[in-house]
Amino acid sequence: MAAMTYNVNGRTYQFDADPGMPLLWVIRDIIGLTGTKYGCGVEICGACTVWIDGSPEKSCDMRAAEGVGVRITTVEGLAATPVGIRLQQAFIDCQAPQCGYCQSGMLMAAARLVNRNARPTDAQIDSALGNICACGTYPRVKRAIKKATGQLA
Amino acid sequence: MSDSTTSPATAKARVSRRAFLGGSATIVALFALDAAPVTAMARALAASAPTDGGIINGWIQINADNSVTVAFGGAEMGQGILTGLAQAAAEELMVAWSQVRTQAAPTAQAYITGGSYGIRANFQKMRVAGAQAREVLVAAAAAIWGIAPSACAVADGVITNPTTGATLTYAQLAKDAATRTPSATPTLTAAGAFRLVGRTMPRLDLPSKVDGSAVFGIDVRLPGMVHAAVRNCPTIGGTLARTPATPSGAIAVVPLGDAVAVVASNTWAAFRAAEKLSVSWTTPTTASQLSSALITSQAQTLMVSGTPGSPAAEQIGDAASAYSSAATRIEATYQLPYLPHVCMEVLNCTASVTSTSCEVWVPTQAANWVQATAMAVTGLPASAITVHPTLLGGGLGRKIEQDYVKQALMVAKAIGRPVKLTWRREEDLSHDQYRPMGLVRVRLGADGSGALRSLAVRTVAPSPLFQRGWMAPTGNDNVEGAEGLPYAIPNRLVEYVRHPAPVPVGFWRSVGNSINCFAVESAIDEMASALRIDPLTFRRSMLAGDARTLAVLDRAATDLGWSSPAPAGMGRGLAISNGFGSIVALAVEVSQPSPGVMRVNRVAAAVDCGYAVNPGQVESQLEGGIIQGIGSAMWGQTTFSRGVASSRNFSNTRMLLMRETPAITVSILQSGMDKLGGIGEVGVPPAAPALANAWFRLTGNRLRTLPFFPGANRMDD
Repeated sequence: MAAMTYNVNGRTYQFDADPGMPLLWVIRDIIGLTGTKYGCGVEICGACTVWIDGSPEKSCDMRAAEGVGVRITTVEGLAATPVGIRLQQAFIDCQAPQCGYCQSGMLMAAARLVNRNARPTDAQIDSALGNICACGTYPRVKRAIKKATGQLA
Repeated sequence: MSDSTTSPATAKARVSRRAFLGGSATIVALFALDAAPVTAMARALAASAPTDGGIINGWIQINADNSVTVAFGGAEMGQGILTGLAQAAAEELMVAWSQVRTQAAPTAQAYITGGSYGIRANFQKMRVAGAQAREVLVAAAAAIWGIAPSACAVADGVITNPTTGATLTYAQLAKDAATRTPSATPTLTAAGAFRLVGRTMPRLDLPSKVDGSAVFGIDVRLPGMVHAAVRNCPTIGGTLARTPATPSGAIAVVPLGDAVAVVASNTWAAFRAAEKLSVSWTTPTTASQLSSALITSQAQTLMVSGTPGSPAAEQIGDAASAYSSAATRIEATYQLPYLPHVCMEVLNCTASVTSTSCEVWVPTQAANWVQATAMAVTGLPASAITVHPTLLGGGLGRKIEQDYVKQALMVAKAIGRPVKLTWRREEDLSHDQYRPMGLVRVRLGADGSGALRSLAVRTVAPSPLFQRGWMAPTGNDNVEGAEGLPYAIPNRLVEYVRHPAPVPVGFWRSVGNSINCFAVESAIDEMASALRIDPLTFRRSMLAGDARTLAVLDRAATDLGWSSPAPAGMGRGLAISNGFGSIVALAVEVSQPSPGVMRVNRVAAAVDCGYAVNPGQVESQLEGGIIQGIGSAMWGQTTFSRGVASSRNFSNTRMLLMRETPAITVSILQSGMDKLGGIGEVGVPPAAPALANAWFRLTGNRLRTLPFFPGANRMDD
């Protein structure tokens, strides 16, 4: 066990954790922010996507120690950014989520894309969002990103 | 402790109220209630709902801020049923959509969420509940004003006296209304006057699903809670030989018969301890022979010499002699694999068991079965058990099962502390209750004019019903999608031969339709090809007596542009599916970007579900079902070797991604509210045959085995 300090969504958290624990489980079980999801644990599905210093990372394959000294943003902190708010509203407007379980990861990936690219093309959205959704929300997620970026009439 | 949970200490007060509410399937009485919404789900969905009282009639609660809370007896797993049923109640209550909240109904009012029955079975019931509540509220206002109830005007939860202009809100009238007995046959709103029903009202659960606040089962947190992970015996039929010692750093090891749980202070510690645990299993001597190759070979033998269920699932005329005298005959056998459900939220369950009470927080499609499971494990009466159904991160038929619930209850009972039990993805995929494998032989006979005279379908598959003891050894299972076809075929025989393989099988989105629709709609296409008739023309020729199905087929074909030639490099295919009271047709267009690779470019779907309570959700369910159907057809399967499942993680369980998803259009035909059909499952079955039919037109190769591309099932980033 080691004492650690995290900055998550602009707040400071101090706790003891096994340095080898995946960041995902620090966020969920120790810090208690459960919007970030466990889907596979092997860096494939993207349900656990968070931002580390603004860059999207799959938190299931990062160690607890890697969360120290960086800015972590989870879906709970997304509304602090204008792009995040626009995307959240667009996801609702397009009725994108079904079960909703993968949507945190989808939103984190989408927001990062839009932060870098104000008007992403279909191909750029396809490339940036490799997240797995078993409900099949892909067409609506894509539409929501187009809507949030002013590309829908 | 998260604010999304309630403490076990408060459970007892709720138990008595729940017992009181219990048993009232429809509302016959109103009574005052002065408690807060109690479930994790309610908190997630109705965070802003007032907690200072109101009235409830088993389904409807009027809140102090003049919002209304509608009790929800089903499972919200993405299909939008919570919203659809709230629309029904709110329509009749005459409230604005912004006034509507929902919370989980008491267990006694819960229904099994499956079979696409949510709207079909509960739409009218929720309308009656809303209308009853409105009528007693109006009666209370009318009594105060000394006028007839019919003289009152109602809008947005406010009742107006048109003569004086006086108004009263539902909240002001709630306590008075609670003393009145509602009519068993309240006046319902005419369909032409609907404000909420029939419209794409925004889903009530979505705000919580874009900001991380939605509480799925896996998100439940209780004070003092510990975490458990399971190791299920890798070999089917195996059991724990002896209980391993508790590893250092873990809190406990709990034997579970065919599995073992490790308890630790957090999920990851439990996962890691379970993974590293050295476990001895006792495996059955027959396990070494339990392989997919053998199961397939047994199915081939059963196809020839097995005894079909008796009587046959469907027998009309004499299919055998019509077949033998047919001018054109098609016989084709189609092979389908075991399929995992692959819910994005892995199986999990949180339980707290004491000597006098039990609480369960669980993503379940069957809250009332959870209660029965808890009674069996704990020995406590129903009145001592509280089930908190949470949102489901996918259900797909898997979360109707009780295996994971029983495990959590056994662990909670053994350790005497609240515990959340979570399956690693590897456990979830390798210990599913799979969609049965199937071998389906279809014989079709057409006369000299090209008219189909006979259809004989023989489906060999393991039976989820028989495995559960719900069906006699000679019964029929897995025949949906083969029996009751809409085509005009005068001689039919649909038979089922039960495969005895011990692989656990269960209810997978669309059940037997997912097996037989592939076989039948492929065979119809093979016959059209043999007769050199366009597959649309061939199907239309057999649908003159079924205007609904014909209209659906025509719409899908028109939407795809069937009448114009396919662009170069594209192949087109059709399929129809009738199930769950609804009719779906798909017209698809595929290409082959590189040898042996199928790209689905466009899908035009048409559906007649009788009436669309929420058209946007009908569209979503079709889109999602089609996407699941495409991914499953391409790569979906679990194979077995020496009794061990092949599926491990997404690394070898490939899912369709956004970049592989075709453009999908959905046209909704509505032939009447009296023909209300289900919508959650119907998009899946026609996807596989439509793709196979399109691939045949593109390449000349007929795909009779699912998945199409088993060697391309790997996924990694």
